Amino acid sequence: MTEAAIHTEAQTMEVALKIWRFNSETGERELRRYEVEAPEWVTLLDVLDIIKDRVDGTLAYRKSCRMMICGSCGMRMDGAAVLACKTRMYELASAGQVPVISAMGNLPIIKDLVVDMQPFWDKFNAMKPYLQPGYVEPPDGKEHLISQERMNVIHKESLCINCGCCVSECNSMEADPDFLGPQALAKGMRFVGDPRDGAKIERLEAYNSEHGIWDCTRCYFCTERCPKGVDPRDAIAKLGAESIKEGIDRDMGAKHAKWFVKSTETTGWLRETELVPKTQGVVSAIKEMKFAMSLARRGKVPLPVPPHVAEEVGQARALRDIIAGQGRDGALGIVQGERALGRIEHTDSGGARRDAPEVTPGEEPVQRDIGEQPGAPS
Amino acid sequence: MRRVAYYKGCLASLSAKELDISTRALAPKVGLELEELEAVTCCGAGDIHEAEPDYYLHLNARILAHGEATGADTLMTVCNVCTLNLRQANWQLQKDEALLERVNANLDAVGVPPYTGSIEVKHLLWLIAEGEGYELLKAAAHKGLKGLKIAPFYGCQILRPSKILGFEHPDRPWSLEAIIEACGGEPVDYPAKIKCCGFPIIQAREETALGELIQPIEQAYEAGADAMVTPCPLCHLSLDAWQSKLKKTTGRDFRMPILHLSQLIGVAAGFDESELLFKRHVVPVGPMLDKLQV
Repeated sequence: MTEAAIHTEAQTMEVALKIWRFNSETGERELRRYEVEAPEWVTLLDVLDIIKDRVDGTLAYRKSCRMMICGSCGMRMDGAAVLACKTRMYELASAGQVPVISAMGNLPIIKDLVVDMQPFWDKFNAMKPYLQPGYVEPPDGKEHLISQERMNVIHKESLCINCGCCVSECNSMEADPDFLGPQALAKGMRFVGDPRDGAKIERLEAYNSEHGIWDCTRCYFCTERCPKGVDPRDAIAKLGAESIKEGIDRDMGAKHAKWFVKSTETTGWLRETELVPKTQGVVSAIKEMKFAMSLARRGKVPLPVPPHVAEEVGQARALRDIIAGQGRDGALGIVQGERALGRIEHTDSGGARRDAPEVTPGEEPVQRDIGEQPGAPS
Repeated sequence: MRRVAYYKGCLASLSAKELDISTRALAPKVGLELEELEAVTCCGAGDIHEAEPDYYLHLNARILAHGEATGADTLMTVCNVCTLNLRQANWQLQKDEALLERVNANLDAVGVPPYTGSIEVKHLLWLIAEGEGYELLKAAAHKGLKGLKIAPFYGCQILRPSKILGFEHPDRPWSLEAIIEACGGEPVDYPAKIKCCGFPIIQAREETALGELIQPIEQAYEAGADAMVTPCPLCHLSLDAWQSKLKKTTGRDFRMPILHLSQLIGVAAGFDESELLFKRHVVPVGPMLDKLQV
């Protein structure tokens, strides 16, 4: 076979998709199947382009840069938010799978795969996503020097491209649509952690609102889905740590978190029965008394006396005292740096995978060695 | 027998004692010899990671060091939150020599043996979902579940973030289904099995939490499940104890029995009530057990 023949015969494949079509004006909704011939290297976005060019010009989706920079093409594949331009189709198509493509979650759909991003931008803007003046000018009039360690704290947060994949999957936002959410809060941390910003306390006060930091349920969908490695859940934890460090701890979520610190220092284990009054206050805890009694009857409210004390609990207290003077308080205590940023292969030593290598929503497809590509000239 | 260091965590010591009791009864039947860690503390439950992250790292390093000192290569957990917190700290310490050195110096200063990074944290679920544990499980579950429909509920922190958990695909997990099948039950599939139960914010944001909690229970109910099973005592507490609040706020009374993983296997293995402690549940498990008597 000639090289040209190999290229034309071996480097295309059949790709089939099912796409949820939707028209917000008429309310019509339909799951439509498309099949196209495409080069093996295509991404999901390329396939949508081929469908729109050759099969159905009415299909609506957003795109711009095609290279994971602009954040326009967030959508769901088999229920998981992805950047269409980052999602290679080879593994799925060659396994004969027909993924379902739909619009992102937690945002209103305008048409097909296009969502209304206005609620997203409103929350983004509420974070005041720009540096606020107010820092002290260096006395010699020269520029500020900021250590790498300080900038590492906001390195991941700075990678955000505002695509909305995290917001799409946020479990708290499903239950509370007003939750500021992972994208906005990660953006907030990007400024709270920036030593050049002059409004840290005002920001932390604002982000401690009812729909702020402590509304996060730690489902980790944001971190799992983010195509850029921003890790919004970690960013929210950093905001919590900075809030508590600065004494902004009136929220029940902050009190709840602080009670765990107190518990480990005193008995080593969570002082579970005292957690409700310590979090919600005594008045609220009394209102919950009937509910608490229903749990107590089932042994779910263990008596705090005598306390359940871990052996050598003094070590935990001593550790906390020692590290207090080591300059890693607040967000600086969350492990940063390139090691924390490195992408880790999916299989850890937790156990062998039963499923075969495949394209994982939100993750890089399995990297094939260039020399082993099917159809590549040998 | 495979000897593992056993970190039972807070809830199995306190409000979810039934988890500890049933785990101890189950362990020898699936080839596990448990060496319980005594001189350890809470993992911080994600709360200390958020309040004082450097303290969180040191607390977990201390737990890992005590686990390593037993000579076992595996530290077994029975809770999603413990699993993530310990694995996250382990991941950071194993990949960053400078960090490990700093933490070890602090551990040394308070009399904790140094940690070398050799132990792996694994949930009970992972130890029995495959390999020898799974073969032993099939033999142990001799009484079976007579095709009862069981809804697996994974919760969050045993799946995500997958770069730290990594046992199975975070969107298409299979381990609970495999165990339900080995026990003679029929796994029920429903989308919310990998979503959040709302527990972390159930005190600070109850309304939001209940909005999350209702999804898995409602979907499992509508799929005809006789019971739900979870590998996490926090999910268990919210699914079981807060179900009554769903009734109050939404008017829907699901009466869905919620089982710990070790209890579900225990039923299939013929454990008696003293090893299962269903009397400690808020939603009665009786209706499910009655179906097995028929």
